[in-house]
Amino acid sequence: MVTGHTRLEQAVRVWLPVGFFLLLALFPFYWMAITSVKPNAELYNRNMMPLLVHNPTLKHYVGLLTETSFLLWTWNTLLVAVISTAISLVLGTMLAYPLARMRFAGAGLIAMTVAAIYLVPQPLLFLPLADVINRLDLGNTLTAVILTYPTMLVPFCAWLLIGYFKTVPKELEEAARIDGASRFQTMRRVFLPLCTPGFISAGIFAFTLSQNEFLYALIFLTKSSVRTVPVGVIAELIRGDVFYWGQLMAGALLGSIPVALIYSFFVEHYVAGLTSGSVKG
Amino acid sequence: MSGRSRRDFLKIAVAGAAGTALAPSLGRAADKSVTLLHESSFIKTFDEYMQKTLAPAYEKETGVKVVYELTSVGSLPTRISTITETGSGADVTMIFLLYPFLFADKLMDVSDIAEDIGKKQGGWYDAAKEAGIVNGQWKSIPHSNIGQLMNWRTDWFKEVGVTKFPDTWEELYEVGKKLKAKDHPFGFELGHGFGDNHGWIYPLLWSYGGREVEPDGKTVVIDSDETARAVDFARKFFKDTMLDDVLGWTDVSNNKAWFAEQISCTNNAESILWLAKRDFPDIAKVTDQAMNPQGPKGRFHLLNCIGHSVFNFSPQKQEAHDFLHWVMEEKQLGGWYASADTYYQPFLHAYDNAPMWDVEPRNKPYRDAMGSAHLPGWPAPPTRQLAEVVAKYVTVDMFAKACAGASTKEVIKNAEAQLKEIYRTA
Repeated sequence: MVTGHTRLEQAVRVWLPVGFFLLLALFPFYWMAITSVKPNAELYNRNMMPLLVHNPTLKHYVGLLTETSFLLWTWNTLLVAVISTAISLVLGTMLAYPLARMRFAGAGLIAMTVAAIYLVPQPLLFLPLADVINRLDLGNTLTAVILTYPTMLVPFCAWLLIGYFKTVPKELEEAARIDGASRFQTMRRVFLPLCTPGFISAGIFAFTLSQNEFLYALIFLTKSSVRTVPVGVIAELIRGDVFYWGQLMAGALLGSIPVALIYSFFVEHYVAGLTSGSVKG
Repeated sequence: MSGRSRRDFLKIAVAGAAGTALAPSLGRAADKSVTLLHESSFIKTFDEYMQKTLAPAYEKETGVKVVYELTSVGSLPTRISTITETGSGADVTMIFLLYPFLFADKLMDVSDIAEDIGKKQGGWYDAAKEAGIVNGQWKSIPHSNIGQLMNWRTDWFKEVGVTKFPDTWEELYEVGKKLKAKDHPFGFELGHGFGDNHGWIYPLLWSYGGREVEPDGKTVVIDSDETARAVDFARKFFKDTMLDDVLGWTDVSNNKAWFAEQISCTNNAESILWLAKRDFPDIAKVTDQAMNPQGPKGRFHLLNCIGHSVFNFSPQKQEAHDFLHWVMEEKQLGGWYASADTYYQPFLHAYDNAPMWDVEPRNKPYRDAMGSAHLPGWPAPPTRQLAEVVAKYVTVDMFAKACAGASTKEVIKNAEAQLKEIYRTA
């Protein structure tokens, strides 16, 4: 009886809320998945239960993969996201470290400015950036977005990393300095390795932002061969007032796989890192 | 050791990937080319005809390569703004509605092409002149109209004894009441979409004699008995014939409702019948199209013109001009129109009886409607103020608020105040 009561209590206090949030989190994926395998006749049929698939078909996936350049767009997206994330993490670290660890006049103001720059909306920036890209003759190349994404990602990474850097105890660096390490060596060999979880979380968010970015990709990449997934699927799967729902959902589902994989791959490392690296007493 | 090798791997990977990404920009061709910016067509074969037939033919004939740059639906204004602000990008662009007027100072005068093409191909419809001429100069060469007409279910109309589409708004209202009672309501967009709302709202207003602004482009005249009658009609039309959620619809909603067999009549382009024939053959059999009903002051349609313009700052503007002239010649243009059946309705009288109209006779009303089609805001001249009125959905909202329950007087006063504020600078 006691065991039964505990199980019931556990179910109500733990599994019920977990189940509820799991449902909320997974429902969009479920919706995308069932829409992507429904034939059009079923998709528009009001008399059929919308949460079930009666006659599943892979037609939309075949169409997406054979009639559009979806695989190429996916490659472009990954390439752009990986490189711009890497650039942003390096530059963001260079910006965040002195602001978090060194004392100099105006550090607070600069930190505030970094946060403010991140808040500048893209529609204000795309025209001047388009001018720069055209002057550099980079229109319709992936380099155009690889260079422009860091304008939003560097302030974001720096802002996130400043917060993380401040949580690392100064004593560790001071011990290294006493042992004879230069400031650069201290940073490289002691400080930065302790910040791996911070880099992972900043990297994941930066990667996701790059992967989902729309406006710059829309403006700078117009040839089908250099498009990224968000722009490609909208350009080719929305025609006039007709949405190709099945292919759009198939594209959205496939496009979300890389981010899901990255999250699941790093989540353990990320959580483990959060609880390590501190000093006792 | 292992940490170092990971970093080394990362360095190589990043350098390699950056090299791959940068490579295309280093290897650009310097050949003579003209770039034509176009919105993705609803009809895929229309884009393919340019890519696979016209562009290669022009390159073979002249040595000038044609780059057909497609952009997504809804993104063309952003692309045109970027090109005009930065002074670089495509050389020729697709352009529609009021854009030739908004960007007139950045567009080349192409009157010579318009006159030559008009002379050779039976002359232009008046609607083409309304859409393409800015201050006496053709700033765009009208290509076609994407008409917005009535789509109706013949089988359900037959259930209430109607075999021919009603001729007047009042007759349509009477039929709609009977159909709603049989669970076959109408569905006309009253939300903030891009075309299907204006497609019936402006014609309804005009057919009752209402207008926003006088042809002088300054005097606001929305507050009139004619407008009040149109608003009163719209309120009862909504209440007694339609689905309630049309107030929040966008352009995609009526297509969806049509294929879900939820509505019996709507205002749309040819896309409903086109898609029905492809994916829903049973629905296609009972779908027909008709011109808008007439009101006390006549029958009207929305001019949804698309055309092509040459940017006057383009380094290749002469090549772009020559290419546009070539495309508009009958040999090329006829094939391009035919590739899309009649989704794009020609503005040149030479095509009035072209064989493409016989492919699907149900599309013929789109041709016949061009004689009574006008730009949004007509008879006010197309200006920045008018573009703002359209972009802010002033007239659509006036009708939508009345349908949602506000009084006629209130919605008209509200619209009048907005119009006066917008036209204050005219």
